[in-house]
Amino acid sequence: MKIKFALKAFLAAAVIMSAYTIAAPASADEDPVVVGFIGSFDSDVGKSTLRGAEIAIEELNEAGGVLGGRQIKLVKADTREDVAEGIKAYEYLNEVEKVDFIVSGSIDDVSLGWLPRMTEYRTPTLDTWTSFIGIIDKVVEDYDKYKMYFMNVANDYALAMLYVDFGKDILAKKMQWKTVVVLQEDTAFGGGVFELIDQLLAPEAKIEIVDHIVYDVNTVDFAPIYSKAVQATPDFIYLISSVRSQVPSSQYVKLQVPLPMTGINVAALGMEFWGDTGGMGGGLSTLSPIPSIGIDMDDRSKAMLAKYQAKHGDNRPVVPHFNGFNAYFGIYNAFAAAERAGGFAPLDKWVTEMENSDTKIYKDGELWLRYAYWKPGEIEPRTEREYTHNIKFDITPPYEDGAPSMVVIQWYTDGSVKVVYPEKYANGDFSVPPWVK
Amino acid sequence: MGVLVSLRWWLVFGVGMCLLPLVVSTGTLRILVFAQFLAIFAMSWDILSGRTGYISFGHPFLIGIAGYTTAMLTYHLGVPLYFSIPAAVVATMIGSIFFFIPALRTRGTYFAVVTLAFMEVLYHLMQVVQPKLTGGTRGLSGLPTIILGAVPNYYLSFGVMFVIGVGLWLLIRTRLGTALSTIRMDEDAARSSGLNTTKLKLFAFMLSAFVAGIGGALYTHYLGSIAPRGIFDISFLFSILIAALIGGAGTIVGPIMGAYFLTLLLEFLRPYLPGPERYLIYGAITLLAYYYAPKGFHNIFGLLWQRLGALGRRE
Repeated sequence: MKIKFALKAFLAAAVIMSAYTIAAPASADEDPVVVGFIGSFDSDVGKSTLRGAEIAIEELNEAGGVLGGRQIKLVKADTREDVAEGIKAYEYLNEVEKVDFIVSGSIDDVSLGWLPRMTEYRTPTLDTWTSFIGIIDKVVEDYDKYKMYFMNVANDYALAMLYVDFGKDILAKKMQWKTVVVLQEDTAFGGGVFELIDQLLAPEAKIEIVDHIVYDVNTVDFAPIYSKAVQATPDFIYLISSVRSQVPSSQYVKLQVPLPMTGINVAALGMEFWGDTGGMGGGLSTLSPIPSIGIDMDDRSKAMLAKYQAKHGDNRPVVPHFNGFNAYFGIYNAFAAAERAGGFAPLDKWVTEMENSDTKIYKDGELWLRYAYWKPGEIEPRTEREYTHNIKFDITPPYEDGAPSMVVIQWYTDGSVKVVYPEKYANGDFSVPPWVK
Repeated sequence: MGVLVSLRWWLVFGVGMCLLPLVVSTGTLRILVFAQFLAIFAMSWDILSGRTGYISFGHPFLIGIAGYTTAMLTYHLGVPLYFSIPAAVVATMIGSIFFFIPALRTRGTYFAVVTLAFMEVLYHLMQVVQPKLTGGTRGLSGLPTIILGAVPNYYLSFGVMFVIGVGLWLLIRTRLGTALSTIRMDEDAARSSGLNTTKLKLFAFMLSAFVAGIGGALYTHYLGSIAPRGIFDISFLFSILIAALIGGAGTIVGPIMGAYFLTLLLEFLRPYLPGPERYLIYGAITLLAYYYAPKGFHNIFGLLWQRLGALGRRE
């Protein structure tokens, strides 16, 4: 009886142990600096960050490596845009891959999910996609806990401030629009943006929200939704869409909704928008963080784009979204800071050097893009608040201290796309679809 | 005697798992923490659905009540965890009454759909009702953690899972456990034979909620964040269901096996298949496992046990 039990126990232990042996992490090849990418592998957004980071890393490796000639190794962890998967991915990068630095292309709630892990592992992390002001507020309020976090895109409050300017200058003043129906997707991003629109655009630009329609991201038939919007008789529709935006966009054109539509349309941030909507995206415009498609590019961004296109060809996204450029320049900033600090550890030294980063990119002698960060205690003059470790945006014309937080891009019926706001970056005119009177 | 022999196996399992941090990496321990939380949720589902046959599609509803209760208490009011976690468990048990009411009038598919509706309702409520309190669509991040580090969290999650597992396993071997099974087999017959099925069901619902409450509260503080899309998510629900089914529903041990299998499989594939193809392989293996072992791993191990026993007797 005892022998039988011992035999069974041994077999059970062998099964369990063999399973864990498979899980043992592979030993490091040499001594590379390990950069982790966290984000969604199958979205244009995630791919943009990943590819932007890859190009920067390839360039740095080709130039002889970093930190005394060490090569950079990139390891990837997929989040599937899922909160729990994001946490697992962050744990994997730290516990198994022992990364030195993380670049993220995560959406809002996924970043918020892994944020507690970041404070536990104290891993320097650069976010290139989420723009949630709440994360920056955490850095401001509890600097010691969150100081390893940098956001390389303007936060949504700063985006909204400039969008309010667009509302005042173009929508209210030029177009004489006074009422709006907000069409918002049912996501964390959508809800957050609506709060800002409700609090800022409406009161400051004197545009009244006459209806607020929330729709499910899996909606395939927008006819009843647009019908409801039209019944409210607004001057225009404000769309907030980050997931499957091509569906409301193409149906808007197909149904020839007799109202102009602008807002935040994430699908329209990529060159694939035209094809995805079956060539039916003309007349639509969207807010975009900078640098966007349609923008006149500086030489450095052009060179990056050329490498990107040579490498990825027709594989979408054919032009990276703004976060691809932000990942590219962010990696350069992070490693330049590491060179000055002698590495990513000790953390405080790297953080100080990262705060001192100031990559200014000029076009025709004008400051075009700037990759610097707000320092602790530094006050942004227009909003009179701190944005510690957010990219150093400028929300006051003529934008001489940094790039504006956003631009507005416009799709035209011939499939072209241009920037229409602010004036410094504009190379096209704001327009509405031809069927809208 | 049979119970004592089986308890010895629980002991072997417990000792083996306690020694595990000596031989595996912290990365593996982190994976096991997720497996152990999934096992708690799957056992919670099993004691209700596996045992009584009332299939719940809304278990994240219960887990969410616990998670949000403790999250809001600690985040906004600074309530200490030793108070917020029990409060969350109580709130979950109260919430389970909403689950129980439809069970008085509906069964089978109808009950399952009603529970799914509960999950959907809470998902939307958390986003629109008092978003400043719930964190709205983005949820709450930066919640206090009970302990830090892979090893302490491994022991905490394992300890809780182990105690719940042994407790439920012993319970289903009592007359009460047998009475719960009769509801699944034929509720009308059970009632005709004098059993108070309403009381029995209420007990199962409360017990399930108690376990979900403990798991949900601890899980939330382990993650350090909570978001509606993360909790009230159909793939989270499916993970719980599949863990219970692939392991062996109605057995308590089965859901533990299923949870370890699913979590480890998915994470072990990550270094080799970092992209979405990982889920394809994961789905295919899970489907095959369920196809060839519809009664679950628990049954396979049971058969293996019998064969080993027969082999021993021949020798």
